[in-house]
Amino acid sequence: MTTTVRTGELRGNSFNGKDLSTPQKLMIFVLSMSLFGLSNILVEVIPEFTIGPVEIALAYFVFIPLVLAALFNPFWVALGAPLGEIIFTDLLLGDFSGIGEIEGFIQMFLAIYIAGSLIRNPLSKAQVAFGAIMIVVIDKFLSAIVDLSKVWFGLEDAEFVEGLPESMLLIEVIGFGVDILLSGIVFGVIPALWLVPKLYGRIEPLMGMQPRQPGKPIQGSTPGIGITVALVFVLGAASAVFAFLEAWGADFGAAEWEWLDTYGPAILLVPAAIFVVLLAGVFVFAGKQRKQP
Amino acid sequence: MSERKTHDVLSMEWIKLELIRTAYATRGGLFAKMDPRVVLLWYLLLGGAPWFTHNITVLAILFGLGVISVIAARVGPLVLGLFVLSLVVEVINVFVVAWFVGGDVGTLLALSELSLKLGAVSLASMAAFVSLDPEKLSSALLALKAPVMLAFSVSYGFRILPILIDEFSIVMEGYQLRGAPAKAPGFLGWRSVSRWGKHAVLAFYPIFLNVATSVRTTVEALETRGLNHSVTHPEGRRLRLSHLQTGTLDWIVVAVTFVGIVFAFWVGAVAPIHR
Amino acid sequence: MSTPIIEVRDLSFCYPGADTDTLRNVNLTIERGDFVAVVGGNGSGKTTLCKTFNGLVPHYWQGEFAGSVHVDGIDTWNSSVSELSTRVGYVYQDFQNQLVRPTVRDEVAFAPLNFGLADYDDRTSDALDALGIEALAERFIWQLSGGQAHLTALASVLAMRPSVVIVDEPVAELDPARAHEVYRRLTELNAHGITVIAIEHHAEFIAEYARSVVLMSEGTPVWHLPVEDAVNRTEELEGHGIPAPEVIVACRALGAKKAPRSVQAAADFIRENTREDAWKQSIRVPATQRDTSEVVLSAREVNHSRKGVGGKAQPILRGLNVDLYQGDRVALVGGNGAGKTTLLRILAGLDVPRSGTIEVAGVNTRSRSAARMANLVSYLYQTPSKMFLRDSIEADIRLFPAGRKADDVDELVEKVLTRVRLNEFADRDGRTLSGGQQRRAALAIGLAMRPSVLLLDEPTSSLDIASRDDVTDLLNELSDSIACSVVATHDMHLVSDWASRVLVLADGHITADLTPADLFADTELLARTNLVPPQIVRLGSALGLDPPPLNVADLVKAVRTSAVVEA
Repeated sequence: MTTTVRTGELRGNSFNGKDLSTPQKLMIFVLSMSLFGLSNILVEVIPEFTIGPVEIALAYFVFIPLVLAALFNPFWVALGAPLGEIIFTDLLLGDFSGIGEIEGFIQMFLAIYIAGSLIRNPLSKAQVAFGAIMIVVIDKFLSAIVDLSKVWFGLEDAEFVEGLPESMLLIEVIGFGVDILLSGIVFGVIPALWLVPKLYGRIEPLMGMQPRQPGKPIQGSTPGIGITVALVFVLGAASAVFAFLEAWGADFGAAEWEWLDTYGPAILLVPAAIFVVLLAGVFVFAGKQRKQP
Repeated sequence: MSERKTHDVLSMEWIKLELIRTAYATRGGLFAKMDPRVVLLWYLLLGGAPWFTHNITVLAILFGLGVISVIAARVGPLVLGLFVLSLVVEVINVFVVAWFVGGDVGTLLALSELSLKLGAVSLASMAAFVSLDPEKLSSALLALKAPVMLAFSVSYGFRILPILIDEFSIVMEGYQLRGAPAKAPGFLGWRSVSRWGKHAVLAFYPIFLNVATSVRTTVEALETRGLNHSVTHPEGRRLRLSHLQTGTLDWIVVAVTFVGIVFAFWVGAVAPIHR
Repeated sequence: MSTPIIEVRDLSFCYPGADTDTLRNVNLTIERGDFVAVVGGNGSGKTTLCKTFNGLVPHYWQGEFAGSVHVDGIDTWNSSVSELSTRVGYVYQDFQNQLVRPTVRDEVAFAPLNFGLADYDDRTSDALDALGIEALAERFIWQLSGGQAHLTALASVLAMRPSVVIVDEPVAELDPARAHEVYRRLTELNAHGITVIAIEHHAEFIAEYARSVVLMSEGTPVWHLPVEDAVNRTEELEGHGIPAPEVIVACRALGAKKAPRSVQAAADFIRENTREDAWKQSIRVPATQRDTSEVVLSAREVNHSRKGVGGKAQPILRGLNVDLYQGDRVALVGGNGAGKTTLLRILAGLDVPRSGTIEVAGVNTRSRSAARMANLVSYLYQTPSKMFLRDSIEADIRLFPAGRKADDVDELVEKVLTRVRLNEFADRDGRTLSGGQQRRAALAIGLAMRPSVLLLDEPTSSLDIASRDDVTDLLNELSDSIACSVVATHDMHLVSDWASRVLVLADGHITADLTPADLFADTELLARTNLVPPQIVRLGSALGLDPPPLNVADLVKAVRTSAVVEA
């Protein structure tokens, strides 16, 4: 091409390989919101099978946020996807639960962000597969806690309905298994393993970005691991608190906080503790991944 | 083989139209005429009330109020249909669970309390949010000091929804025509379902790339049109909200609802059905 | 003389990771009130150059930036996209994606609101007014036609009352009538003092509307000349992929020194410089006898309607009857919204009409699923990227024959690729190809389905002239493998160069079934259906030739009988 020398004085290079510019963040966010929103509409029209109380239903197309989180900065993907779900399906289909949406948003945000952060190399099959499962595990685990507590506190004296807590737990466990299998594997791992390598190096230039370098921190990485852990923990706690807020709301009229007397305030720490254990596992895994060349 | 006909319902096109109608509240309806901020307040009122009681009488009346609101809001058949379907599933579940745990009428009532409660709340949110077109909702969010990006995303989401659905339908049509031909549907149509599922997943490869291309232009255009500027400068927010005005209708609806809720709690106190 | 609105000095720009500068040592001055056409081949840097004017380069698209760009006295390096956007408006080539609001009024008010301008209401009304689209104000964006959407995008940048408006290839996504409309509006804006910069490679539009032309090549301007001089450099422009307008070619062939810029000017030139009696008699093109022995596709009493958002069924096709014969090359024309796409989809068996029957090679479309009809008839979408489902065009071409377990898949794919001359791109994703290559790839996908009837929706829209001629040639070669092809199009060049039969769709049925020459002679029909004939046909009509000639050679032949006096 042109071999002549540049005559103009170099003003500088506005490109900085580390940070994402605001529009780039917005692009990832909008893409994630649109695609996950669209996929949620599709999920809504897929027939569901109900065998007794156990629903065999597809929760979401996990591979969509996962593919994006593997290729782009997971933070912005995680922010966009649950918003897409809320706007496209919940709001439009009248399934909007007002304040309750916040709890769903936080669950999904955490699930995608943590799972996406685990993927250091988008071309590693193991990491992508693990990420897909993790999204479902984290999301469903958080929502199971919320569900159980809703029933527990939404019903007056639920513990007096004989056998109910046990069967509720059983139903949750079966539901959990179904979700891992259907949402996590059939519509998670399998499509993601196919799609990530196909899109890698193709989709980034379309959005004016460079493909992610395996092993290197992703462009626009959120600050150090310490802050990340803190952030995730705060959000996790917030999610639990929201669940409990709802539960409190349910009890305002009738109950006299008996459960608090029965179990003591320590009950509040149960979900938080479980969450911390989960997180610890995640970061141990993440640490191992990073050490690998 | 039966002859092919044109279907107006249950096609992708129909879903798209239904969503657009819902989104833009073109059906009219009571809440569509109200100030969006008051609609949110109204929602907090009727959507919040069920959480403060375990009394089935009260919950039933609140559920009734919800039904009236949904009728007044002229909610479309798709949204309503999905709600009724989930309610039916819920009721079946209640019976199955009751039978499963070997419970009696008491168990049944306890469980229907939860269903009734959740049902009443969803009816209120359906009436409110179906009536708020994205612009109104976005304004209400702005008025409540929500981030500019959130308010924008809400209205933008509805703008691209029809485009996304078209995109998906065309890709699926491509697979339908050019992919391997369909075999017999199989038991419970599992082969058709799995074929659809496979195509739906495959469809996302082109959709990812096509949508990425258009998002690039969109975001670039947003930059030139000052969306970023409005995030840091509040004048835009003020101007956008200056047209919001509450009227008599707004307060009448809130007052009537309030009276209805008080009435529900009064009847509940007089004639409680309580477990 | 006032200061120039845009002054570019020694500008170089390099995208991150790129080996060479996209822009190299650009020096350019654009005067206030100019109407500039920026031309140049693909990759010549014209879009990047225009994006330096509103600061998108280097503030949004980042990279190495050397030299300076001053817009209205502001150094863009020290400014921001927000600040520059109040002075420079930009309308994208894929303008549909720049519309983000639900209604036209909201869209136009969007930028003024974001910038917190209290008079946003006046600005909105003024912008709508300036483009004559007040009537659309309350419409939803998704209800707009392409032309209306483009004007809305233009109005939305005008609401900021910019000094400069940049329009990127308006003709690419619009039919010629709408494109002329957009250019006329731009000319009006220009008359009110707004500097207009248009990226354009249709010489016809450049010659008719621009005041000056910048030719870009390899990231740098080759020259910036007044339009009169620029359009006369026909060879040079042709070398950069911009063939001269037909009127200029014709007048040059007739000995003109200075090329006329519009049809009217060309007609005047020919009238003044020739003896009228010599060319007044028209040349009769012998009507080709059509072979109507074998009906390939027939439609009988077809009625179709679509449910709108209002819930009412809007009739699209009403009692349509047509027979297509072996060897037909049919151009289906009609205004926007006439139902061309609906008809093609019904003919292809993708949809079935509410009443009436379609038979393709004797098979009723109602009796077979759309997937099975695909063996007989294939339909190609207007946007080729919608047909790229896989990650390489080879896989896309293979999809259909492989799915149906044909025995000669490899052979067929190879043959089709060769036919469309895309062998070297076989493993590329279709989306990464140029516009013309994308069309050819889409065509290849259709051919691999081995249909007897091929239906194409706007196969030449948004193509530059060279790629368009390429596609037309390819269509010309298909007659041996396809029994009959139907093309829905606004492109009258395609109609004149390729079609043997024109069907005019209006009011839900075929209102005229005639040859291209007869179509172009029928001015009343053309006006009613919003069609703009090719320049050369318009020139012929302006000279009173009946029927008007369909190509330059015929016109020249008709006129040449008399000596042309030196201009």
